[in-house]
Amino acid sequence: MPLNTQDTNVSADLLADLLTVQGLSIAYGPTAVVHDVSFSVAKGESLALIGESGSGKSTIAKAILRLLPHGEATATGRVALNGRDVLALPEKHFRPLRGRELGFIPQDPASALNPVRTIGAQAQEAAALLGETDPTVRRAKILDVLEQVGLPDPSRVYDSYPHQLSGGMLQRVLIALTVLPRPALIVADEPTSALDVTVQKLILDMLTELRRELDISLLLITHDLAIAAERADSLVVLKDGSVQESGPSLEVFASPTTDYARSLQADVPALHPDRYRNQRITLTPAHDGGSRTPASSAPDAGLQIDVRGVTKRFSAGGKDVLACDGVSFSVERGRTHALVGESGSGKTTAVRLLLGLEQPDGGDITVAGQSTSGRSRADVREIRRHLQLVYQNPFTSLDPTWRVGRIVREPLDQFGVGTKAGRAQRVRETLEAVGLPSEVASRRPAHLSGGQRQRVAIARALVVRPDVVVLDEPTSALDVSVQAGILELLSKLQRELGLTYLFVSHDLALVRQVADSVSVLRRGHVVEDGPVEEIFHRPQHPYTRALLGAIPLATAPTEEQTSKQLAKATA
Amino acid sequence: MTSDYKRFALTRAGQAVIVVLLAYVLTFLVISVLPGDAITNTLRDPQHGLSEEDIQRIVAFYGLDQPVIVQLLLSLGRFLTGELGFSLQSNLPVSQIVGDALPSTLTLATSALLIAIVFAVVIAYGAQYLPGRWAAIVRSIPSFFLSVPNFVIGLVLIELFAFRLHSFTTTDPNSPVATLFAAITLAIPVSAPLAEVLIASLDHESRQEYALVARSRGLSEAKLFAKHLVKPSALPSVAMVALIVGELLGGSVITETIFGRDGIGTVVQKAVTGEDQPVLQAVVSLSAVVFVAVNLVADLASPLLDPRVKLRESKLREKVSA
Repeated sequence: MPLNTQDTNVSADLLADLLTVQGLSIAYGPTAVVHDVSFSVAKGESLALIGESGSGKSTIAKAILRLLPHGEATATGRVALNGRDVLALPEKHFRPLRGRELGFIPQDPASALNPVRTIGAQAQEAAALLGETDPTVRRAKILDVLEQVGLPDPSRVYDSYPHQLSGGMLQRVLIALTVLPRPALIVADEPTSALDVTVQKLILDMLTELRRELDISLLLITHDLAIAAERADSLVVLKDGSVQESGPSLEVFASPTTDYARSLQADVPALHPDRYRNQRITLTPAHDGGSRTPASSAPDAGLQIDVRGVTKRFSAGGKDVLACDGVSFSVERGRTHALVGESGSGKTTAVRLLLGLEQPDGGDITVAGQSTSGRSRADVREIRRHLQLVYQNPFTSLDPTWRVGRIVREPLDQFGVGTKAGRAQRVRETLEAVGLPSEVASRRPAHLSGGQRQRVAIARALVVRPDVVVLDEPTSALDVSVQAGILELLSKLQRELGLTYLFVSHDLALVRQVADSVSVLRRGHVVEDGPVEEIFHRPQHPYTRALLGAIPLATAPTEEQTSKQLAKATA
Repeated sequence: MTSDYKRFALTRAGQAVIVVLLAYVLTFLVISVLPGDAITNTLRDPQHGLSEEDIQRIVAFYGLDQPVIVQLLLSLGRFLTGELGFSLQSNLPVSQIVGDALPSTLTLATSALLIAIVFAVVIAYGAQYLPGRWAAIVRSIPSFFLSVPNFVIGLVLIELFAFRLHSFTTTDPNSPVATLFAAITLAIPVSAPLAEVLIASLDHESRQEYALVARSRGLSEAKLFAKHLVKPSALPSVAMVALIVGELLGGSVITETIFGRDGIGTVVQKAVTGEDQPVLQAVVSLSAVVFVAVNLVADLASPLLDPRVKLRESKLREKVSA
C-alpha cells in the first residue's frame, strides 16, 4: 500500500527522535538570544542543556513549551515533537499537547503553585488531561501519584495549600502533577537548584526512577555540569545562545573538546577538590615573611574566633525552637573554617550571633581574644570592626541608588577612619585589591555583573582591614565560572592579608576546595567537626555521609547509562 | 471556621463598633464648636412659631442648658438606643427622614458599585487579553475616567440619553432606566481606581511562575483567568472596594442633585443649609456605619480568600516535614 510506506518512512524517522530541534533562533525584540541551536532527544532518552546565566538554556526550554511571552519573543527554526512542528502549530492545536505530551517541571517549587488554591484543586487540572470526568476517580488517581512520588499522607497533601508544605514536598507535588498525564517528554528547568542538597539527590533519584518506569524522555536544563553528567545520557553545552559542544555525557564530561566546556568542567568544585589548597599551601610561607598586614601586626597567632556552647532559642507560636543548641567551633588565625548545613540547620543563626546581630541565650563568643558577652554596644561595635560579612546575594545586598565608591567607603565613614582623602585612597586600593578597575567606583550596582558585584561586596568588607571575614554562601548566587574567580580572589586575599575566614555553605564540594576545617550542623547541633580531609574521607555521622553522598559525581558511568549505551551500540 | 477565625472576627467587629462611636463623638464635637448655637437659633426663629413651653421641652430634651460634655453623653446615649431625635426644620423624627431617603440612595449606590465592579473587571480583562494596540487603549481608560468630573458625565448622559435618545425622562428620576443612568454616572469615576488595581495585580499574577506552569498543563487563557488569576488578583481589589464605598457616599450627593433624585444627598443638602444638627449628626453617623461595615466585611473576607493571611501572630505554619 502506498499510504503505508509513506507512513513507515515518517515514523521510522520519528521513532528515533521524540524531540528534534533544528536551527532554533530566538530573539527578544531586536536582540537575538539564541542562535541556530540544534539537538534531538530520542524516546526514553535524557538530554541536558548546560549553560550559565544568559546562555539561553531556559529560553530554549520555554520556546519548546511555547511559554515565551507573547509578542515579546520570536522563535524561528523547527521544533518537532513526534514529527509535528510545535512552533508552526496554532495554539488551538498545540494546547492538547500541553501536559499530555509535554510536561514541565519549573525551577522554584515555592512559586510554581497557585498560593490561594489547594494542591488538590490544581492537581485536578492535571488529572483532567487524562480524560477522566469524574472528580472522585480523578482524586483517587491523584492520591496514587502523590504516593508514587514518595509523599507521606497524600490526602493531607491534597487538602493543603502550597505554603503549608516544604520546598522538597512541593517539588514532589509538581513532579507528580507532571507525570500524572504520562507525557512523552518532560522539560525540567533547574528542577532542584532551589532545594537543599540531600533533598536534591532524593528528588533526582525519584525522577530518574519514574522516568525509567514510565518511559518518559527528559530535557534537563541546568547550570550544574556534575548534575547533568550524572543524570543525562547526552549533553548540549550552551554559551551566549550558541551550542559549544554536544555529545554523550560521559564523553563531553570526561574529555571536553572546546575551551568553554573545558573551563566549565574545571570549575566544577567536586572534580577538583584541591584546586585552591595547592595555592594556599605553597604560598602561605610567603606571608610569614612578614609585610605590614593586619594579621602580622598582631602578636600571636592563636584562635581568631572561639565560639563555646552557644545556645539561641526563638519562640514562635508558643513553641520554642532551638536554632542553636550548644554550638561550638573555633577558627585559627589565617585559616578557613566552614559551617555546613541545610536550611534550618542553624548556620545562619550562628553567624548572626557571631556578628552580634542577635544575643545568645547561653555560651560565650570570643573574637580576637575578646569576649563579646556582657559588653556595651559601643564595645561590640568596635569588635565587629574586626569582623566583616560578605553576604550571600550581591544582587540584593548593595544599595542600587549608591555608586560603588560610596558603597565601599561606607564602613570607613561609619567608623570615622582617617581623612577624606585618606578614605578615598583606601577605597581605590581596596577596589584594586579585589580586581576591579578604578572606573567602577563611579558606577551603580545595576551596571555591574554578578561577579563584579560580589567583588564590590568583598571590597566593602575589606576596606576597614578586618581580621575575620564571614562569607555567607558568597558564591551561591553566581555562575560556576564566576564562582571560580571569586574563590581564587578570596584565597589570594587570605594569603596576602592573613585573613581568617568563616565560610558558610550548603555545598560540601565547595567547602572541600576552600576550607581547612569544617563543622557540620543539623537542627542546631554540630553533628561532626574536624579537618576537611578527615570529614571527607572518614565521615562518622550518618548525616555527614548523606551530605557527601548527595554531591553529584559522574566519574563512572551509571548502570542506566551503560545499559543505554550498550543498547545503542548494538542497535 | 476555626476558633482562630472566630476570635479574629470578633476582635475586628469590636474594633468596628469603637470606630463608629468615635466617628459619632467627632461629628458631635465638630458641629458643637461651629460658630453660633444652631439649635437655639432655629428654635428662636419666629417662623417656627414654637411656644416658649415647646422650646423649653426641646432644650431639656437635648440638654442644651447643660455643658457640651453632658450634651454629648445624652446624645450618645440616645444614639445607642436608636433614638435619633427630631429634625429642627420639619419636626419630623430624624429616623423617618433618613428612612424615607435611604432606599433611593442605597439602590443608587449599590447598583453603582456593581456597575463599577463590572466595568473594572471588563477593563482589566481587556487590558490583559486584547491584542497589543487595543490593550494599550483599554489601559488608558481608567485615567480618562478619573479625569472627567462626576457632574460632567451626568450632564452628558442626560443630554444624550434623556434629551436626544429619549431613553428616560428627567421628570421621573426614580424610574429603573433613570436610576441605571444615575448609577452609571456614579460608577464611572469609581471604577477607575478599581480597574487600575485590578490591572496591576493581574499583570503581576500572570507573570508568576504558577501561571506559566498552569499554562503548561494545557489550561486555556480563559480558564487560567477564571481559575488561577481572579482570586489572587481580587485580594487587593477587595480592599479597594471597601475604600470606594466612601467615594460612592460622597458622589451620590452630587449625582442625586444632577438627576433630581430624592435621597440622602438631598437630605444632607437641606440639613446643611438649615443648620439641622440632629439630621446632620444622624447622616454622618450612618455614613460611618456603612463605611465601617463594608470595611469590616472586606477584612473578614481576606482570610477566606487568601489562606496565607495570618489571623494571629502566633499561628505558625504547620509544616509537614519532608
